[in-house]
Amino acid sequence: MSGCRSNHDDRPADYLVVGIESHPIQLDPRYATDANSVRVGNLIYNSLLRADDKLRLQPELAESWRMVDGRQYEFTLRPNVKFHDGRPLTVADVKYTFESILDPTNQSPKRGQLKQLAAIEQTASHQLRFHLSVAHAPFVEQFTMGIVPTGSLRGDTPPPGSGPFKLESIEAGAKVTLKANADYWENKPKLAGVVFKNVPDAMVRALEFKKGAIDFMQNDLEPDMLPWLRSNTGADVSVHQGTTYQYIGINLTHPILQKRQVRQALALAIDRDAIIKHLLKDSAAAANGLLSPISWAYDTTVPRWPHDPAQAKKLLDAAGYPDPDGDGPLPRFRLSYKTTNIDLRRRIAEALKEQLQKVGIELEIRSYEWATFFSDVKKGNFHLYSLAWVTIMDPDIEYQIFHSASMPPNGDNRGRYRNSEVDRLLEQGRVESDQTARKEIYRQVQQILADDLPCVPLWWWKNVVVKKPSVKGFLPYPDGDLISLKNVTLR
Amino acid sequence: MASKTWLYAGAAIVSLLILIALLAPAIAPHPPLRQNLANDLIAYSADHWLGTDKLGRDILSRTIYGARISLSVGFATVALSLAIGLAIGSLAGYLGGWVDLLLMRLVDILLAFPGILLAIAFTAVLGPGLDHVVLALCLIGWTGYARLVRGEIIALREREFIHAARALGANPKRVIARHLLPNLIAPLLIQATFGLAAAIIAEGSLSFLGLGVEPPTPSWGSMLNDGRQFLLVAPHLTTYPGLAIMITVFALNLVGDGLQERFQARSR
Amino acid sequence: MKRYFIHRLLLLLPTLFGALSLVFLLVHLIPGDPVDVMLGETASGADKQELRRSLGLDQPLPTQYRNFLTKLASGDLGRSLFEQASVNQIIGQRLPATLELAFCAMIAALVISFPLAFIAARRPGGIADRGALLFSLLGLSLPNFWLGPLLMILFSIQLGWTPVSGRGGWLHVILPALTLGLGMAAILTRILRASLIQVARAEFVKTARAKGLSENQVWLKHMLRNALLSVVTIMSLQFGALLAGSLITETVFSWPGIGRLTVQAIQTRDYPLVQGCVLVIAVAYLLVNFFTDILYKLVDPRVSYGE
Repeated sequence: MSGCRSNHDDRPADYLVVGIESHPIQLDPRYATDANSVRVGNLIYNSLLRADDKLRLQPELAESWRMVDGRQYEFTLRPNVKFHDGRPLTVADVKYTFESILDPTNQSPKRGQLKQLAAIEQTASHQLRFHLSVAHAPFVEQFTMGIVPTGSLRGDTPPPGSGPFKLESIEAGAKVTLKANADYWENKPKLAGVVFKNVPDAMVRALEFKKGAIDFMQNDLEPDMLPWLRSNTGADVSVHQGTTYQYIGINLTHPILQKRQVRQALALAIDRDAIIKHLLKDSAAAANGLLSPISWAYDTTVPRWPHDPAQAKKLLDAAGYPDPDGDGPLPRFRLSYKTTNIDLRRRIAEALKEQLQKVGIELEIRSYEWATFFSDVKKGNFHLYSLAWVTIMDPDIEYQIFHSASMPPNGDNRGRYRNSEVDRLLEQGRVESDQTARKEIYRQVQQILADDLPCVPLWWWKNVVVKKPSVKGFLPYPDGDLISLKNVTLR
Repeated sequence: MASKTWLYAGAAIVSLLILIALLAPAIAPHPPLRQNLANDLIAYSADHWLGTDKLGRDILSRTIYGARISLSVGFATVALSLAIGLAIGSLAGYLGGWVDLLLMRLVDILLAFPGILLAIAFTAVLGPGLDHVVLALCLIGWTGYARLVRGEIIALREREFIHAARALGANPKRVIARHLLPNLIAPLLIQATFGLAAAIIAEGSLSFLGLGVEPPTPSWGSMLNDGRQFLLVAPHLTTYPGLAIMITVFALNLVGDGLQERFQARSR
Repeated sequence: MKRYFIHRLLLLLPTLFGALSLVFLLVHLIPGDPVDVMLGETASGADKQELRRSLGLDQPLPTQYRNFLTKLASGDLGRSLFEQASVNQIIGQRLPATLELAFCAMIAALVISFPLAFIAARRPGGIADRGALLFSLLGLSLPNFWLGPLLMILFSIQLGWTPVSGRGGWLHVILPALTLGLGMAAILTRILRASLIQVARAEFVKTARAKGLSENQVWLKHMLRNALLSVVTIMSLQFGALLAGSLITETVFSWPGIGRLTVQAIQTRDYPLVQGCVLVIAVAYLLVNFFTDILYKLVDPRVSYGE
């Protein structure tokens, strides 16, 4: 069946074809926001630091770096790094990249993330220093910004990078082709290039893989397709722990949901394991909080809410919401649950509805397309909703989500959570620069949140990698990064 | 005559489907919403003749209840579109002049506008749901009926008996009104039959875009879309709602064709 | 003829203007904020305000509308809010794909419907006639998003004749064109059949037969020519449905055309891009109908001015 595929195979030899769900919108790292733009961009552009497969920051363009004090970071650049157009990568380029993001006329979406950055100073020929206006421990994450050459304007074609692959061509809406950078400072990639082929429909992507027109896919597949792919295409399917956290957001200004017992009852009524086993086919792991075991700040002693409908009923009774007719059709109360209209999300909503019904809570599912849904969530126009947090590196993300000063539009505390103890700890955590001390602070935060439940933890998604057995040397990253394609071979 | 047989066959199928929809609670073997996660994607069992879906729900029961939803969407869409089309079409036809020009430009605009985009925007505001689906489909749906009604009125105006009535001093508008309805019934009925079929398909397209009826409500379109990702592992998820849509659309078209032939034969 | 031409052309303008005003209102009134989509989770309120200002989104709606129209008058559709390109440029890249698909779908519809209609019309009411009608009904009753994957599984995976999806050589276009064209083929078959039956009863065909022309000559020379007019009409009427259908077919077949672009643009609230896409779709629809009218008028000068 696969014997006749070569006639319409349009790939150049030794290029790896990666199937992706959506076409990258904007590769320039200063503007890239969608996941695929970031992932493809990471192969084209180098950054001062780069997260490794354990999400620890490692030097990349930096030969060495140090935190001088809470407000100053010093970097020594690796010598002899060249952009794809042959220009050497210098301190001036690094300075330019960050400064062009800060320039409001450039309209970079990343400008807000650099608000603590006061100045960049060249201290030696290969050395520069970042000055912050205030101490801000999570700022180190900003050093993973891709570096572009001085003078790169916001233009129609992305600027050259210095990474393992260079941009060969973009076919609007269809594919992005990268070519190996023969002069890459680390080592020349083993592949001749990578084609990112946009196939929006998950089932069609599976068919393309079966046909042999795609060699590699990561995530965005219907979980039930995995066994099929394994047995019908000889695919090499593997599942790896990720960091994307799925949760149920709660509106804490709602009179019923204000009560902690009700929120705890929600957590007890949900059978995460059943959903993970049957709907997700084990492509997720039950979660007890925002930070995953991969994070250095994760507290192993945080309790996990089990599936206990009997206890949930007791809590609801105690909270003052008895079931009017026992196990009959009348609910204790009704809540709406908002979600996006993606198939799997809707299916999860249906399962949750059934599970909550068993403890007497009626869920009304409201599914919207993304922009409307997101707009409602920001406005606090919901009872319950479900969303995921992607790529969580520094625990300071909790400030943005749970601090009372972070209510929209100033942050992402969409449930309007207010807890002075949590506020105090989160303020401490972002100015403390000692990691052991920070770990203790965030341990306390995690304990409080797990009991108070400003949102109900569901699961951490795993990364599912499907590849042809001939694709060797891929190292999965918890955040789904594809940087290890630079070491992959296709034989 | 052969065409009569086809018309009756089509009408019989449609009646049967309506009967199934009405009697759904009595004939469905299981509650259509009851889940059993551990019992999913079964192709056939003694208890589930047409198998179960991803959430372990009985597909036969959902298809039976789906007839209710899908036919309701179809009938409601046609009824509402027809009412709007009749009102606007006769307004344009009667009054003529700039009212006609304006209303027909509106029809042109809506026809030139990608209809599905209008539906996307509409459901983006209101969210999905049965009533919103119907409204979204009516936004464009009425234009066809309006054109038809307007055309018929203008044609009537030119007919001899109207001229005769006018010559005799009768109010021509009243004469048109008296003759309009009998002349309109046939073409409107035919268009409504095809419109019903189109609405059932369109509901499926909206489901594909995630804008159909709200889960867990079973409609044929939403079942077809829910099962689409399982086409390779559990084709039965899409086969039955797909067949249901095919049979319905098929029967409706038979009725429409049959009616068309009959009325054409009579008018000749 | 010239007057008719100009009259029709002038009528296009208010329709186009109406469609553009409608899309402008629509995209600006639906909830969701492009700035939210652009800046994502981490941006501050002040940043958003600033971006909104520099994009001109903070101005009152009537002002934005006026700006949109003045720019449009000079042929400028603005820049996409997300991609680093002008709307003209993005649409220019995507339009050929959609035109290719629409054209091939029409060809597919013709290739399917002509033989079916001729077989059916030879003996109205016969078995072949009923068979052809039933087959054409199949095309009407299958939703594209289901038909597409079924065709892929059959022709690409089981038989291995075509690629699964994507745009490339002529083999790539077969399945999406078939998916998109089948509905049109069904309608075309029915209209063509009816028109052939009608023509067959007409006087000139009887005369031609009486003159001793062979049956095949009669069919080809006279009936086909007369039936073509109705075919052109139906195809132009169906052109709008074709463009709408391309929205779904393009998504299923990973086809990089305007249809998918439109859905994406509305999902990200990329206002200028949505407006540009709708403009292109509306213009295409209006032009096709305009030329059909003209063609009709050329062939059959009795068509009145009013309609």
